[in-house]
Amino acid sequence: MQVLARPSNPERTKTLVHHLVAQLSRHIWWDSLLLFVPPAAAAIYILALLFQAAWLSQTAAISTAIIILGLGVFGVLLRRRPLVPTVRKAARMVDQKSGARDHFLTLATIDPASQPAVLWTRLCLQAEGFLNRIELRRDFPYKFKRSTYWSLGASLIAVMLIHLLLPVAPSARYSTTVRLRELAQQMTASPELRSLSKELLAVASKLDDPKISPEEKQALAQDLEQKLKEQQKKEEQKDNRDLLGEAASAASGLEKQQQVASGQDQQKDQQKGGGGIQSNTPQDGQGENKQSQGGSGESKGESTAQSQEKMDQGKSAQPNPKEKGQEKNQPGDAKNNQNQPDPNQPGKDPNKQKAGKTEGGSKDGAGKQQASEEPPPQGGPQADRFYKPGEGKDGLAAKGYVTVQMPEELVADAKGEGRTTKESKNTRGRTQVPVSNVPLPAHVPNAPTEKQQVPIEYRGIIR
Amino acid sequence: MEPQQFQQAFKTLETEVQKVIVGHDDLIRKILIAFFAGGHVLLEGVPGLGKTLLVKSLSQALGMSFKRIQFTPDLMPSDIVGTEVLTEDSGRREFQFKRGPIFAHVVLADEINRATPKTQSAVLEAMEEKQVTVFGDSHILETPFIVLATQNPIELEGTYPLPEAQLDRFFFKLLVTAPAPAELKEILKRTTGTVTGEISKVLPEDGGKLVGEMQQLLRQVMIAPPIEDYVVRLVHGTQPDAVNGGPAKSSVKQYIRYGASPRGAQAIILGAKGQALTEHRVHVSYEDVERVIYPALRHRLILNFQAEAENITTDQVIGEVLKHVPKH
Repeated sequence: MQVLARPSNPERTKTLVHHLVAQLSRHIWWDSLLLFVPPAAAAIYILALLFQAAWLSQTAAISTAIIILGLGVFGVLLRRRPLVPTVRKAARMVDQKSGARDHFLTLATIDPASQPAVLWTRLCLQAEGFLNRIELRRDFPYKFKRSTYWSLGASLIAVMLIHLLLPVAPSARYSTTVRLRELAQQMTASPELRSLSKELLAVASKLDDPKISPEEKQALAQDLEQKLKEQQKKEEQKDNRDLLGEAASAASGLEKQQQVASGQDQQKDQQKGGGGIQSNTPQDGQGENKQSQGGSGESKGESTAQSQEKMDQGKSAQPNPKEKGQEKNQPGDAKNNQNQPDPNQPGKDPNKQKAGKTEGGSKDGAGKQQASEEPPPQGGPQADRFYKPGEGKDGLAAKGYVTVQMPEELVADAKGEGRTTKESKNTRGRTQVPVSNVPLPAHVPNAPTEKQQVPIEYRGIIR
Repeated sequence: MEPQQFQQAFKTLETEVQKVIVGHDDLIRKILIAFFAGGHVLLEGVPGLGKTLLVKSLSQALGMSFKRIQFTPDLMPSDIVGTEVLTEDSGRREFQFKRGPIFAHVVLADEINRATPKTQSAVLEAMEEKQVTVFGDSHILETPFIVLATQNPIELEGTYPLPEAQLDRFFFKLLVTAPAPAELKEILKRTTGTVTGEISKVLPEDGGKLVGEMQQLLRQVMIAPPIEDYVVRLVHGTQPDAVNGGPAKSSVKQYIRYGASPRGAQAIILGAKGQALTEHRVHVSYEDVERVIYPALRHRLILNFQAEAENITTDQVIGEVLKHVPKH
């Protein structure tokens, strides 16, 4: 009788399939991770972008990130579970790879105790003959699946699309504080504003401090804005006024950011009685449009978009030095309103006067009046009838009248003399407005600033 | 018994039969597998293909008792199993059982489909129970016992199709095909000359014991549970009324009246075990199952009228089942 040789490496034969199962399980882990991590990372990146742009509050961003991570983990587990190879499947793979005829399948799935020892030993010996044909790392290497490439590609595309399609500022908060610092730097040039600039720098540093809560930051920004406005009113130099106006705008923008960040924006607007409408009626001297969001039923995205719009408005409210006096939302309009067009007033710098005679200034005054006297209807865009002449979408073109000046008056203006018209001589106390072709109410603060010469054919009539 | 001993004996038998039978290597192997698995074989083919010679050669090689029964329409059951005859011994008369030709190790039931169903069914008990009952007395048949039946194709005149119950008792149904030209040339060379092949007895005197050990070893061959499951799925897949007949259900339902019985599954697994042993393995592989499924199931699937009308064979249906039933 032939004596069977003993298998030289029985353990490896038995455990090979189990090692393969473990290795393939790791591969499934990697596959699942590579499938779910890129989209999760992309989603979190997008969240971070939205958070930086102050479109999302910190709580919302963190909770969404946690949900995304949770979904990712759940997805990994859910996907991995059915894909984990069974011992049978792994044994089949070993058989196919080594060219064995189900030797490893039999070895891996049969209980040796219930089999004749002779046959089992023979099976082990036969299987051992195939062992040198197989190397787990070499024959079953990890390969990136197509799903991984798809996942990675889709995530990259999503991130790129977000960058391309959404006009997200790199960091609104960051840029605002940087702007504050720049303004503070400019203020140091002026001795009167030096102390304020230090305060501005201090506030900017505090705003960058992540330890300070959004509520505190909001209060800081509010205080700063108040101080700046007060200083602006006191300030006599125009450059300084402009600088202060810009700083106030920046502070106002910061305040709104903090409102959004702290999630108080909605409550605040509700307290204001906002009915979910957007009013463009100027409500303060800065000409800023207050928007209400609370209770409007609008989505958060819309409201955040409005906030962004407001911030952008606040930014644009910073006057361009080249266009001073022509900006609608120029700070310091309240003061400019006092310098309403009075061409007969001597001793004024014509350029300064011209700068003071701004449309924005007159509008702001009108807006103030309108807001206090007759609140516009809520719930929709403001009707045309609520606009003052010169306001509205058509602007100056729909004003309906202009103020005209006789050539003599223009000459007198140029010489710095007083009025020469009959009206100016006889009824100086009644009105400062020169003769026009329409009756104007007395002491109109927002009298039209447009001037043109009376046509020749009408000059005789007027005289 | 060691697997090597089995393979040696098997190979010797195979070679010995091949001395006379030209070609049909697979046929010879399948007959031997069925023999060692303890089953009976139905050989189907047109007359003159060497079916009878094959069986005779096998019995000679085994060195066991061999009987041949030529089935004819007037053959009676008693002509097969035997009968009680009145005998007189020293003035005393008594009935004595006269054994029929079924009492042999190897029985050749030649042209079994030419006998009437009544006679055909006489072989039933013998095939399954390995015993016969005559006048209330049971008589045990020889061990090992194998019936090798031959039959002409059904469509020939003067034949009686075998009852389904009897068909199911055959382990394998093997198709004997016409020899290839080269094989035919060799057949002519061997049979028309002066020198003809002589078959010598391969097994020793106690051949029955050796065959018993070989049959025992065949049953010890290991089969992995996934392969067993595969066989179950295959057999289940042939059932037209199965709840989950699997993907092949459409063709199965279309052409099959009755699917394979559990005997079919047994035949597949035992046949696969024998096939594995002949290939020097001690475990069954999927390939073994695929090799034996055709002879194991082709006579167990009962086709319906549509299949017959469309000339669909059971082998085609089995092929569909194999194609659609997953291995894991």
